[in-house]
Amino acid sequence: MKLRTALTSVGVMIGTAAIVAMMALSLGLKESAVKSLENFGNLTEMDVEPLRWYEEKGEWIDVPEDKVKKLNMQAVQELKKIPGIQAVMPIKELREQAKLKVGRREGYVQLIGVDVNESAAYRKNDIEKGDYLTGSPQEVVVAFDVSRELRDVEKEKREERRRRTGGGQAGQSTMPPDMGGGESIGFNIVDRAATLILSREYRIDDEPKYEKKELRVRVVGQLKKTEERGSSSAVYVPINVVKELNDWVTRGREEENNEGSTRRTREQAKKDTFEFDRITVKVESREKVEGVVAALKEKGFEVWSPARELETINNFFFVIQMVLGGIAAISLLVATIGIVNTMIMSILERTKEIGIMKVIGATVLNIRWLFLMESGFIGLIGGLAGLGMAWGAVELVNYFGASGGLLDSLNMGYGGGNPEGEPSKLAVIPGWLALFAIGFSFVIGVLAGIFPAIRASRLSALQAIRSE
Amino acid sequence: MVNSTGELTVTGVNHSYGTGKIKVPVLYDINLHINKGEFVALCGSSGSGKSTLLNLLAGLTKPEEGSVTVSGAQISSYSENELCMFRRKNMGFIFQSYNLLPNLTALENVELPLIFAGESKKKRRAKATEILHRVGLEGRIDHRPNELSGGQQQRVSIARALVNQPGIILADEPTGNLDSKTEQEILLLMREMNKENGTTFIIVTHEQEVAEQSDRVIYLQDGRVVQKRTRPA
Ligand SMILES: Nc1ncnc2c1ncn2[C@@H]1O[C@H](COP(=O)(O)OP(=O)(O)OP(=O)(O)O)[C@@H](O)[C@H]1O
Ligand SMILES: [Mg+2]
Repeated sequence: MKLRTALTSVGVMIGTAAIVAMMALSLGLKESAVKSLENFGNLTEMDVEPLRWYEEKGEWIDVPEDKVKKLNMQAVQELKKIPGIQAVMPIKELREQAKLKVGRREGYVQLIGVDVNESAAYRKNDIEKGDYLTGSPQEVVVAFDVSRELRDVEKEKREERRRRTGGGQAGQSTMPPDMGGGESIGFNIVDRAATLILSREYRIDDEPKYEKKELRVRVVGQLKKTEERGSSSAVYVPINVVKELNDWVTRGREEENNEGSTRRTREQAKKDTFEFDRITVKVESREKVEGVVAALKEKGFEVWSPARELETINNFFFVIQMVLGGIAAISLLVATIGIVNTMIMSILERTKEIGIMKVIGATVLNIRWLFLMESGFIGLIGGLAGLGMAWGAVELVNYFGASGGLLDSLNMGYGGGNPEGEPSKLAVIPGWLALFAIGFSFVIGVLAGIFPAIRASRLSALQAIRSE
Repeated sequence: MVNSTGELTVTGVNHSYGTGKIKVPVLYDINLHINKGEFVALCGSSGSGKSTLLNLLAGLTKPEEGSVTVSGAQISSYSENELCMFRRKNMGFIFQSYNLLPNLTALENVELPLIFAGESKKKRRAKATEILHRVGLEGRIDHRPNELSGGQQQRVSIARALVNQPGIILADEPTGNLDSKTEQEILLLMREMNKENGTTFIIVTHEQEVAEQSDRVIYLQDGRVVQKRTRPA
């Protein structure tokens, strides 16, 4: 290859490298921004609430009370229709704390009713041990930390007593070793029978009454440990179970107030106005989150999820990409002009050759093709070299950026970098960017060759062949 | 239809160079007919219009007046692209200064017309190698033009002209740059090709030897055909 051609390729290389590196940097920063956003929770999962106020022209406007959405079955149906939403999971919590008893251990838990059909599909992936709910009312799934919350009350009392008496009979403990000790880590409650105990208190004629209800259940699974919302003492049951238990708890209270009305009408009213506490929506993929958030807002829902920030991040990095890419594009433009120049020079130099080729039978298209491919090749070589260069630069930046903690300081606004897992990268070159860079540099070469190629093909064969 | 491959007819051609007021007339009322397989020499003093006439026959220049018909095709009315396509199938060229592409080897130079004609690589190689053998360059196939002598370069250029098996070969002073011994060899080679393939040869020349070995000599003087002499048998 001629030195002139090689130097022209170097121009393209620098331009391509600049563009790819700039894009890689902004993509990498965006990626790590999104990642640190994910530390707040799964971005594809969000809680939906009714919209109560909104901003318009800098003012906050209340949504009229009768227009505020209710989190009822109708809302669930409406949410299901939004494209991009994979599952809609209504949740109803038991108002009272319930006691869960497994073997000798017991503790207070938060009962959460979930729609088994809706949540099964992807909650199954969150199972640490055992299975997910199948819909049977006797099944429960516990949060990861529930087993820690349970205490062996009897034993603790005994030990307390023993400690007070001096612990003389320590060796004669009748406790089985696996159940022993205050340590509850490693205590397995999956696939064990359990009892849920609820109580209600009410007064009849100023006489306090106390009532207990026991539910025999089976712990079928344990969820993975998460940092997410939801208490560590959550116990998941089918939503109907919670509905019934809520009724049972409140019925006692209502009976003390209005004994007049019949149970039947009250129950009917309850059914009509039944509302969920929360509705969690699962989005198909991270890319669709923005669209879903927008659709939800349009329908009068408010979303509380870090996903709301995605839009801001995307807009911000779009601007960054445009600015950085634009600066880099100028160098590629200069390189393109360089190709045009080189091609014109090379055609001048080869006028005689072009003449010979025409005389021995090359058509206009043959000549154009020849020069287009040549300039395309200059672009392609430059593009490949530039991609290599950008890749090297990206590796360097990632190496020094990671060790220097640069990323963490950049991430401060989003709440710190990744606590665990693979280290975040300052810059990334995704496959599409690499392919785009190669294709683009080739296309630029071809475009730069169009004008010179047409010039070459227009040369008169006779005059060209006479030139020296 | 009569197969007119290799035939060549010029009728009523007038040609002049320049535009507007300063027109220089070069050829006057040329009428010629050359048969298939003829070996014709085009002679005349310098500036008499030999090259101009040859370029008209090749379709590299369009006649101002009159028509040129080659192998049954009236090329004087063809567009430039049609001419290119016509040339690569029907005509071969040999130049005084060889005009090989300096960056290509002998073989690649010979392959070039076949590339433009869209032949497959395998066929190209085979045809080009064969013809290079026939012009006596079997040992020089991978040499570049600057590694070959003038005579050898002209052999390559003859091979290039012949590789498409055209009906007509046009040569403008093909031996002008060669010593008389080499000239004789080249002339012999062209005659051989003329005999073997029945290819029509039209050769512009100053050399008496060339004229003497031709079937026919056409003399040009100040743009007019003054004499057509058929060689005594
Ligand atoms: N491109 C051109 N523009 C103007 N005049 C030209 C051009 N080409 C040739 N001529 C003129 O036409 C006349 C004939 O030229 P031509 O090249 O045909 O002569 P020739 O017989 O080939 O001469 P030689 O034996 O020296 O090659 C000359 O007077 C020349 O000056
Ligand atoms: Mg001449």
